[in-house]
Amino acid sequence: MNKKKIYPQWFVIIPLIIYAMFFLFPSLLGVFYSFTDWSSRTALNGLHFVGLDNYIEIFTSNKNYGSGIFNTFRFTIISNVVKLIPAFFIAVMLKGGLKGKGAYRTILYLPSILPFVIIGLVFKSIFNYNTGLLNTALEAIGLGFLKQKWLSDLGVVWTSIFGVDAWRGIGYVMTIFLAGLNSIPQDYYEAAEIDGANFWHKLRYVTLPMMKGSIMINLVFGVTYGLKVFDIIYVLTNGGPGHATEVITTYAFQLYSNGQYGMSTALNSILLVITAIIGIFIVKFMSRKETE
Amino acid sequence: MNKKTVSALLVTAMTASLVAGCGSSNAATDTAATSAAPAAAATSEAPAATTEAAAEATSEAAAATTETSTDGNIVISEVENNGQFEGQELSILVSAGWMDNRYDATISRFEDTYGCTVDLQTIPADQYSDILQSDLANGTCPDIFWIQSNPFAIDSVIVDPENYCIDFTGADWQNVMPEARQASCMSGDKLYGLQIWHNSPEYVMVYNKTMFDEMGLEVPTTYDEFLSVCDKISAEGITPWFVPGADGWQHQLSFFQIGGVYEENQPGLYDALNNNTATFADNEKMIEVLNEYKELSDKGYLGEDWIGTDSTNMSNEFGDRTCAMAMANSSYIKQIQEDTGTTDEFGMFLIPLGDNDTYPTNPAGPTMFGYKGTEHEDLVKAFFEFVCTPDSLQEILDNSPSYTNLDVNVDIQQNWLPEEEEFMATVDKTKMATSVLQTGTKYTNDYWMDFGADMVSFCQGTMEANDVLKNMDTNRAEDAKTAGDTAWK
Repeated sequence: MNKKKIYPQWFVIIPLIIYAMFFLFPSLLGVFYSFTDWSSRTALNGLHFVGLDNYIEIFTSNKNYGSGIFNTFRFTIISNVVKLIPAFFIAVMLKGGLKGKGAYRTILYLPSILPFVIIGLVFKSIFNYNTGLLNTALEAIGLGFLKQKWLSDLGVVWTSIFGVDAWRGIGYVMTIFLAGLNSIPQDYYEAAEIDGANFWHKLRYVTLPMMKGSIMINLVFGVTYGLKVFDIIYVLTNGGPGHATEVITTYAFQLYSNGQYGMSTALNSILLVITAIIGIFIVKFMSRKETE
Repeated sequence: MNKKTVSALLVTAMTASLVAGCGSSNAATDTAATSAAPAAAATSEAPAATTEAAAEATSEAAAATTETSTDGNIVISEVENNGQFEGQELSILVSAGWMDNRYDATISRFEDTYGCTVDLQTIPADQYSDILQSDLANGTCPDIFWIQSNPFAIDSVIVDPENYCIDFTGADWQNVMPEARQASCMSGDKLYGLQIWHNSPEYVMVYNKTMFDEMGLEVPTTYDEFLSVCDKISAEGITPWFVPGADGWQHQLSFFQIGGVYEENQPGLYDALNNNTATFADNEKMIEVLNEYKELSDKGYLGEDWIGTDSTNMSNEFGDRTCAMAMANSSYIKQIQEDTGTTDEFGMFLIPLGDNDTYPTNPAGPTMFGYKGTEHEDLVKAFFEFVCTPDSLQEILDNSPSYTNLDVNVDIQQNWLPEEEEFMATVDKTKMATSVLQTGTKYTNDYWMDFGADMVSFCQGTMEANDVLKNMDTNRAEDAKTAGDTAWK
């Protein structure tokens, strides 16, 4: 009976063409350009194949693109840890009988709808060493010794970025966790309680196994977001102080602005390869778990 | 009322509001057009132009006339109005801060004179370059566009001026600009741009003269004297030199504005840098200057958190007497006094890093170009002529609160500040020959922000001074390679 309602397979052709035209083709074209000397002068000088020159330049240049790649990984790992774990526990808390949980959910979710530009402006003001809200507040409550150069001290700047990123992202992650939690039948918890399970037992043997789907979704979103991070860094530090918080995308942006399009696409291609490898790994891992 | 009737009424109301919206817009345009039309008619006494008449008029637009007064000043007259531009629209793409309000009155008179409209597209500074490059590449550039030009910028920023720019060679207004500025408007022997900019001392040390007098401090002329002044000011709990490092573009001025001292230390350096027979790396004077800057940073003389501080609060810092000096333009003195109402007096002296005693001569500035693909080439040319008339230049200066003069060979009323005159009197005229490093050497200015970031890394101890300079060499070489510069082959 359902057979009649299923759309024919050729319906997929149009989206497939659009996908190939606007996603696959530009991506492949980008990879192709990374092997050329494409630049702002190409219209005059022509486009030339340069082999692996751009890639060799990236890994041997004294401009230290390597630190940008390292920082990208660092951001991906730490930003996910500082968002996923707290968001999970907040979701568990807000799923329970907490008074005013609707208001908490809204408050936590609100930052994620703010544009990055606004977040950048607000937090740059808050983090200002002399006049910022944070240092002023610390001084006002007698904690002046905790004052920091939040965006200019090499030892603190990443903490500030992770803090702002977590502030913005926790609500979104929490919402996905909440959806996952709500799909767990209450009977499982009741059965576990009858068996004498405490909070941690229920968390370990009921909640976590049942939440695999939403954990994976958050992980995939978080990892892809982390690898292509740009906005939050750009608006808060623009890769600074010096080059301390440069990531792959900020370097790619600078190269593109300087008219070195070939080099820029080479950096982006490296990012594409990294994302693809990690993406394939996660998808395979997820498929395996689903089969199990 | 049933649902259908309500729906029908709602749809009617929505359609009506939509039409009303369009109507009001048209009405506004009409009003503008009618207000402009009488003015145009009054100027030209011409009947409404038909397409044919306009075409005829265009060919007859024998354009502006030029006179040279006895004192060598140029007098440009506007293009005669025969109704040839009636109803046309001139679009201008400009970065914020380059035209501001100072061109408003002139643009308004231009519209009134020729019965045309001007669409001014002002883009935030940090996005401007990307938008311009994309417009040029896509062939969607407005009729007039601006760049921050210098003697090398046309070839490195516009890249292909023959393809993108109207050739103004032989234009009457060329000599409105002093010769030094013309170099920033030409590529080869062709004239492409018009640069109307001021000639005030730019990015020298502005200091609180009253505070210096109270502390018994003399204006420093060497780095050691400067260090000693900073010691004394710092001891009073005042930031000696306010540096807004978070802006990303200001702190490196202290290195580049003293280009004359590098050239003096190694005569022929600029030529050698432009011919690729010298490098920034291993230049002893440059390393010395970077080390001096780091010493000031390490001692806290640039402010407790100069790397994280931007210039938003700079004039207040002066007004509150929490800082004593900063790198700024002469016009900034007026701004401090207006912003804060301080009665303190201010003065200027040369940046003393590297014992510099040379003046930061800089023929660079925002420059406007006509887009070759425009459909209104004659209108563009008329605008350039119009801007160069004495009336327009005077108007532009009078509407620029932050300018005290315009660097033009036209007899207009300049408003030099007493502080500027006093400062200029202290400068040895023989020390004004070399331009600043960023505009005197090829491909340097393009990596302004990168160099600034490297300087910060150096001050934070994550880079060596010579590596900062090496990076500049690498970047310049990259640009030269892209430009196909034979000196780098």
